[in-house]
Amino acid sequence: MKQLCVFLENKPGRLANLLNILEEKKIKVLAMGIAEAGNYGIVRMIVDKFNEAIDALRNANMAVNQSNVIIVDLDKLAEVAKLFGDKGINIDYAYSMNNNKVVIKVDDEENAIKILSSKGIEFIP
Amino acid sequence: MYKLSRQEIIELQNKRLRAIIKYAYENSPFYRRKFSKIDIDSIRTKEDLKKIPFTTKDDVRENYPLGLLAVDFSKIIRFHASSGTTGNPTIVAYTKKDLENWTELCARCLELVGVTSNDVIQIAYGYGLFTGGLGFHYGAEKIGAKVIPTSTGNTKRQIKLMKDLGTTVICCTPSYALYLAETAKEENIDPKKDLKLRIGIFGAEPWSENTRKKLEENFVENAYDIYGMAELTGPGVAIECKYKNGLHVWEDYFIVEIIDPNTGEVLEPGERGEMVVTTLMKEAMPFIRYRTRDITILEEDSCDCGLNFARIMRILGRTDDMLKIRGVCVFPSQIEEVILKTNGLSPYYQIIADREGVMDKLIVRVEVAENFKTDKLTDVVMLQRKLEEELRDALGINTIVELVEPKKIPRSEGKAQRIIDLRKEKGLL
Repeated sequence: MKQLCVFLENKPGRLANLLNILEEKKIKVLAMGIAEAGNYGIVRMIVDKFNEAIDALRNANMAVNQSNVIIVDLDKLAEVAKLFGDKGINIDYAYSMNNNKVVIKVDDEENAIKILSSKGIEFIP
Repeated sequence: MYKLSRQEIIELQNKRLRAIIKYAYENSPFYRRKFSKIDIDSIRTKEDLKKIPFTTKDDVRENYPLGLLAVDFSKIIRFHASSGTTGNPTIVAYTKKDLENWTELCARCLELVGVTSNDVIQIAYGYGLFTGGLGFHYGAEKIGAKVIPTSTGNTKRQIKLMKDLGTTVICCTPSYALYLAETAKEENIDPKKDLKLRIGIFGAEPWSENTRKKLEENFVENAYDIYGMAELTGPGVAIECKYKNGLHVWEDYFIVEIIDPNTGEVLEPGERGEMVVTTLMKEAMPFIRYRTRDITILEEDSCDCGLNFARIMRILGRTDDMLKIRGVCVFPSQIEEVILKTNGLSPYYQIIADREGVMDKLIVRVEVAENFKTDKLTDVVMLQRKLEEELRDALGINTIVELVEPKKIPRSEGKAQRIIDLRKEKGLL
């Protein structure tokens, strides 16, 4: 799954501006997490129309790019975390999503997908 | 003229120096007062200039508007002015001969970097009171090049004209050149492929070697630095040759000295200090030992291009732009150098000086590039730390880096305003 990563200044109104750009294009946010470091932060999100979202944000001159994440059921997170831990795969970060799901970013996507498939755990790659 | 030996240049300079000193004394009440305690016949060579007091920006201001004039008002055919940030502007006047000389200097500069009558030259310096636009205009016409006098502004139209008329030479400030390159990209024009820009002549503000690299990668084949100021006629005082190792000063028109800005003592070639210029040919308003406030180094050794005119190195900055932070002198050009060699940043920045309690602090606000990889927060934090470390190495003091979103720093079409000194605004300096 592709997520959007947007650099934002950590100031009132900046997130509203970002969400407004998406709303104007009728793009729905399905999951969102914010990581902040002082004066700025990174907003990561999953949207329903990825390509349109990235175009809209680029046109608005935002520093935006993409990366791959895996989505699993929140109920399975403990199991998934243990499996990854046992195989030495690190979960860099995670944030929750609608419909009882969670978005996770791992440092070894290929092996993570292999493990999930072999154990029959449902996920969205 | 291009063939003059060092000795011939010095002889010509000394001859013209004796003439201009006498001329200024006889024709300008301002200089007659200034030279009142000096035996002007004893001023024979550049070394003798030490005996003469400096002329400063304050002299010009105090004698506003035309107190330095050395001709009858009827002889004047043009005025220009340089923007005074505070109070009166500096007004300069030209006789017919002055304009001819200025045209000659600008034509020489264009020729030295390889501009010919086959070139299409777009002049995106401001036309009007600012000397940039008209100076280049006359020089280019003298060469017979095809001039597009766009002046500044209307950036999209600038790009369109470049494309439609096949502009080969662009003249503007380096900050505007960066903005032109950025705007071209937004219009889906790749300057290196879709435009024919061979030569860029960039001046009116200090810029760095890394800006040259950026401009040559993204905009023009060759970017050259040019120097001038209204008081010394305008652009055309000095320009780089193809070796890009300092700007050749037209020493048959100007004498350059480098001084210690604090003591006024004349420094040796190779030593960094404030540039002091004596105009040798100006009629309406000669400037004798004018303190330019620009910081540079004079090199008199020979250049690979064969020209025997001495070179000034890239201007590090103007003493007015110099910030004193916790006692350390900081020039914006030093900060620019660091920003431009760091990946993930745009070339737009602001420098903010502030004071908290008794401590000065220096904030460098810089935009992240639109294509900057923002997946991991640690990458962004690393970028900020790296920049802070490199600035500390370059400046010798701690700085605070503020990363801001793209397009958050105002763009400029003329001279970029990059320094905000809150200490001044708060009345602390």
